[in-house]
Amino acid sequence: MLIVGEMKLAEVIHHDYNLVPVINRFDIPLGFGDGTIKQICAQRNVNLEFFLSILNTFHDEQYFPKDYLKSFPASLIINYLHKAHTYYLDEKIPQIKSMISKLFDLSEGNKKTLNLLSNFFNDYCKEFELHVAREEKEVYPYVLKLEEALDNSENQTMLDKDLLNYSIRTYEQDHEDVEEKLFDMKSLIIKYLPPENANNNIFEEVSYALLRELFVLEKELKEHSRIEDLILVPKVEGMEEQFKSNF
Amino acid sequence: MEAVVNIYIVEKNFLLRSGLEGLISEIPGLILKEVFEGIEKNLFEKLTQKKPDVIIIDPDSVGDNFINLISKLQDEPDIKLIGLKREDCPENICSRFKYQLPYDANKHILLEKLREACGSDAFLIKNKQGPLSKREIVVLKEVVKGLTNQEVADKLFLSIHTVMTHRKNITKKLGIKTVSGLMVYALMNNIIDINEVV
Ligand SMILES: [Fe+2]
Ligand SMILES: [Fe+2]
Repeated sequence: MLIVGEMKLAEVIHHDYNLVPVINRFDIPLGFGDGTIKQICAQRNVNLEFFLSILNTFHDEQYFPKDYLKSFPASLIINYLHKAHTYYLDEKIPQIKSMISKLFDLSEGNKKTLNLLSNFFNDYCKEFELHVAREEKEVYPYVLKLEEALDNSENQTMLDKDLLNYSIRTYEQDHEDVEEKLFDMKSLIIKYLPPENANNNIFEEVSYALLRELFVLEKELKEHSRIEDLILVPKVEGMEEQFKSNF
Repeated sequence: MEAVVNIYIVEKNFLLRSGLEGLISEIPGLILKEVFEGIEKNLFEKLTQKKPDVIIIDPDSVGDNFINLISKLQDEPDIKLIGLKREDCPENICSRFKYQLPYDANKHILLEKLREACGSDAFLIKNKQGPLSKREIVVLKEVVKGLTNQEVADKLFLSIHTVMTHRKNITKKLGIKTVSGLMVYALMNNIIDINEVV
């Protein structure tokens, strides 16, 4: 299904609940009523085109948002991606970490295994933090500067030659998968976590909850990467071309 | 990680073809490779060239040439034939198919028949499952110590190709892709000792 502005947002969410974290990230709180996407965007001052392309990217793996690209500023994309990063780092990951340590506490015979899993996940988190830091400290500032330079392009003195030294293609080329290890973590839990005592019910419960969180995070990160690859990168490539032509 | 059963369809009618495509997409492990209309020249050669596992044929799409084509296909031992069966399908035609998808069956039955024809559980049959072999365990031990494929090959007197095949099978069997994931597996199962990897 292609999500369009005339659809009612509530219906769309009913249809695909994976979109819940997205509306949350656009500061659309629940209880938003019966309006269409267009109406709600107007009320809440959300860029309609951008909102639609994010919804569609999350909803449909085949979706490619080329038509919308030109119509919203890069700073919007970056603002969105930044919010998502904060959500992963400050909420999701600590939540998973605390589940693992809870499992460790609850375990009677599996402490060694849980220690291994916990170290594995901690290593993963470090990698993920590095990945995010590179985007936040290197890539996004470059994009914002580029956008600023383009907005002020009548003013020739503002043109910053340094911007020519970087290219979003470098980022695109070594933008690595961040979900591979999450996949492994799931396999380890599903297939190889040794069973606890039959009466250790809370352990069971927490391990199911942990598994569910890993599935959700993995899927989220996949969509997040697709937004970076399919929305941010092409958008910036267009900006770079425009910028070069100003010289 | 997917097991693969390659399927060809011979069906000229768009609506029927879409229906078949829909059914195939619902069974994990089945992959629709190519679709023919039935009127192609050298259809037999085209169908057998790439050795599909299963061909689904609508006799109506092939027309007069059907008996000739099906006789030749029946001589191919590795290809399973599934026929679409109309209610009024003459006996001499529908008896040619070991597996049949009746026009008037409901979705549930069609899925069952298709699954049965493709091997009751496509996933399990083609996918290597079960515990690691001794050879694979030996390779795994070296991989988690951080050796490259080439280093493993040199150390174990294997070709690099063999090492890569082992690694692929290990990942397939365990569902673990990264070296550090494999390391956790190996430690959890006492395949290596923590002192060997630090
Ligand atoms: Fe990111
Ligand atoms: Fe990223």
